[in-house]
Amino acid sequence: MMTKRNPDRADVCIIGAGASGATAAKVLTEAGLQVVTLERGPWWKPEQFSADELANVHRFNLWPDPLINPRTFQASADEEPTVQLFCPVPQMVGGGTAHWTGWLPRMTENEFRPKTIYGEVPGANLADWPITYQELEPYYDKVEWAFGVSGQAGANKYEGPRSRGYPCPPIPPTRYNQKFHEGCAKLGYNSFPTPSAALSCPYNGWPATNQSAFAQQHGDPTGTRGNAMTRFIPAALATGRFDLRPDCYVQEITIDAHGRARSAVYWDADGDSVEQEADLFILACGAIESARLLLMSRSGRFPNGLANGNDLVGRNATFHEYSAAIGAFEDPVYGWAGGGYVGASTFEFLEHAEGRDFVGGCHVASAGVGIPLPISFSLPDKPTWGQAAKDADREYFNHTMAVGLVLHDLPQETNRVELDDQVKDAWGLPVARITHTPHPNDLAQGRWIIDRNAEILEAAGATKVWRVYIDKVTGNCSHQHSTLRMGNNPDSSVLSKDCRTHEVDNLYAVDGSPFPTSTGVNPTLTIMANAWRVAEGVVARHGMPA
Amino acid sequence: MDQRDAGFFDQFQRRTVEAAMARIIPTDHEPGAREAGAIDFLDRYLSGIDHVYAKPDGSGFAPPEGKRAEAWRQRIDIVRRKYREGIDELNQRSRAEFGEDFAQLPPDQQDFILTMMEGPVLDQEQAREEAETVAGFTPPEPALQQIAAETDLEFFPLLVLHTRQGFLADPIYGGNRNRVGWDVISFPGPTSLAEAHAGRYSTLPYFAGSADATGEEASR
Repeated sequence: MMTKRNPDRADVCIIGAGASGATAAKVLTEAGLQVVTLERGPWWKPEQFSADELANVHRFNLWPDPLINPRTFQASADEEPTVQLFCPVPQMVGGGTAHWTGWLPRMTENEFRPKTIYGEVPGANLADWPITYQELEPYYDKVEWAFGVSGQAGANKYEGPRSRGYPCPPIPPTRYNQKFHEGCAKLGYNSFPTPSAALSCPYNGWPATNQSAFAQQHGDPTGTRGNAMTRFIPAALATGRFDLRPDCYVQEITIDAHGRARSAVYWDADGDSVEQEADLFILACGAIESARLLLMSRSGRFPNGLANGNDLVGRNATFHEYSAAIGAFEDPVYGWAGGGYVGASTFEFLEHAEGRDFVGGCHVASAGVGIPLPISFSLPDKPTWGQAAKDADREYFNHTMAVGLVLHDLPQETNRVELDDQVKDAWGLPVARITHTPHPNDLAQGRWIIDRNAEILEAAGATKVWRVYIDKVTGNCSHQHSTLRMGNNPDSSVLSKDCRTHEVDNLYAVDGSPFPTSTGVNPTLTIMANAWRVAEGVVARHGMPA
Repeated sequence: MDQRDAGFFDQFQRRTVEAAMARIIPTDHEPGAREAGAIDFLDRYLSGIDHVYAKPDGSGFAPPEGKRAEAWRQRIDIVRRKYREGIDELNQRSRAEFGEDFAQLPPDQQDFILTMMEGPVLDQEQAREEAETVAGFTPPEPALQQIAAETDLEFFPLLVLHTRQGFLADPIYGGNRNRVGWDVISFPGPTSLAEAHAGRYSTLPYFAGSADATGEEASR
C-alpha cells in the first residue's frame, strides 16, 4: 500500500452513504456546503440489482459476506464469543435501503417519552428522548415528500398530528393484507396500510411499482421502490458540491492538538491509504459500525476510543427482533405477492398500557412467511426433506401468512458493541463484538403480542396457527440503535440533542446510534428525519463556508 | 453446455448425490429433484467461482472480484471438502448397513441411511424439548433473514439446502429445469431474470380484488 496525495479539505466529511448519510449529504450540499462522503462498499446503479433469490438471499450478493466482514456475538461477558452475522446491513451506497421493502411508519408522540410513561423498569436503562414528536414532525414530513412514501394519512388512529398527508396513496392490499384487516376488524382493532417506500403512483420522475415478488432482501432494478441511492444521492450530486467516494473504508478518525476531529484515514478502492481532512465529521455507518469506528480511533487523549471518556460508546445497544404468529388458510393468500412485505399494520399493541406484565409495545403487521420466496419458505414444524416436506411445500406455500412484530427491546448498559480481541476482518481490523441478553420485558412483550397476533389470524379464519415466540435477540431485523445515545446530560449520553458528541465538538452521528431507545417502530423513517434535523442544525451552527 | 465437463464430482460421487437428492425431494405424481436437475445445479456450483452469481439481466454470469473472489474460493473449498467427506460417509454407512453403495439401495433403505446422517433421533427430540421449554417452540426461522451460512452447516443439512436451491432457484443456475420446482409449489415466477430486471414481472394479479387470480390454479 502507498500513501497518495491527500485530497482537498472538505467542509463536511460523512462516513457512510446509507439512509442517514445520504439524507445528511442532500441537506448539507443543498445548503451550500462542500461534502465528501466515504462509503466502504460499492456504488451500484439500479440495473445492477436482480430478482435472484439465490444470489441475494443465500449468497451474500447484498448481505455482507461473513468471510470478509464477520462479527462476533456473546450473550454475556462470561461467554466465549462466536462468529455470527449479527444484525447485518448491506455495506454499499444505499445501505439497508438498497434491499429493504421500506416500511416507513412514524413514531408516536409517547414513544419519545418512554421513561416518563413506563416509569422505572429494573435492569433497563430507559431514557426519554431529548426531542419531541412535535420537533421531529416537520422532518418526517420533509422525508416523506422528498423520498416518496405511499400511505394513508389518518388511517392509523395512534399517529400524532401530521402537517399534511402522503405524496402517494397507499399500496393496494394483498390477500394477506386483506386477511389481516378482516381479523383486526372482527376484534375491534384499528388497522391501516403500512406506509411504504414502494411507489403506488409515479412520483418525482419514478414510475409506480410493478410489484415484483422479489422485493424484500432484493435490490430494485426498476427504481420504483425508494432507496437512498436513488432518492437522495442524485439531489446531492446535482448541487455540484458532493464528492461520493465508494469502496473507501475508514479505519480511524484522527484528532488535532485541540482534541477536535481532524481527518478520516481510509483505504481507497486501490487499497491505498488516504487521509481526508474536514471541518466537521458525521458518522453514518449504522449504529454498530459507527460505535466500532469510534472505538478504533484511539489516541493519547482518547485512549478508550474517540468521544468515549465516559465509557458509554457502544453501550445500551438495541436491535429489535422479528417474529410472528403464522396462519394457514384454505383459500390462497399468495404470501409472496409484492415481495411478501406489502404491509397492513396495527399500532394497537404499540402504546404502553397498564395491567400487562410488560412495558411498551410495538408495531404489528402482516406479511408472507419467510422471505417469503420459494427457496426460503419454511414453517415451524415443516420437515426439511422427504415426501412430507414436499407435500407441505405444495400444501402451504400459497396458503400461509404471518402476523409479525418488531420487538421493542429495552436498553441495558451491558448490551453493547465492543471491539473483538481475536477476530479480524479481511483488512485486518478488529470486528464488532456484540453482547446481548434480552431483558425479561422483551420476552414477555414478545410472547403477549405473538398471542394477540395469533388471535388476529384466528379471527380472520385461519385453519391452523403457529406461535413463534422469541427467546433471544439475533438482530434479524437489521435494525440497530442506541450505541451513541443522545441526551442532555453528558454523564449519561454520548451525543447532545444536536447529535454532536459531548467530547468532540466537530463530530456528529446521524444513523440509529443516537436513538435513546429502540422504539416500537421500524426505525429508518425516524433515522432519516433525524438526520435531516441534525444536518439543518449543522448548517445553522457552522454557517456557510467563508 | 456439458455439465459433466464443467462439474466438480466424479461419476460415482455424482450418482451418489443425485440419488440422495431424489430422496430429499422425491418424484411423485409431480417432478422432484431428479427431474429439476438439482445435481447439475450443484455440480456446477462446486466447479469454481464462475457460476456463483448470474448477471442481473440473466445474460450470463459475473464472477466475484477482489476480496469477494477470495472469500468465495475459500467457501467453495470448504463446501467441496464437506461433500467429499459426506459422500464417503454416506457410502460407508450404506455398505455397513446393507452391503451396497448408497445409489444401489432401494428408496426405503436410502431413507434409513439419510435419517442416520441427519443425526440421532434422540438428540433431535432433546433439542426440541429444550426449545419448547424455553420458548414454546423454536422453528427453523420464519424470520426476516435466512442467510445460508453454508460453511457452518454439516453435510446433510447442506445437501438438503442445495437440493432445495437446485429445485427452486432461478433456472439460470442449472436446476429448476423448465421451472418444474416452481410449478410443484404453484409459484408464478418470472419467465426469466430479464423479465424481472426490465420491470415486466408483476404479482399484481395475485393481490386482493384482482379478477385474474381465481383461486388455486391462478393464471400464469
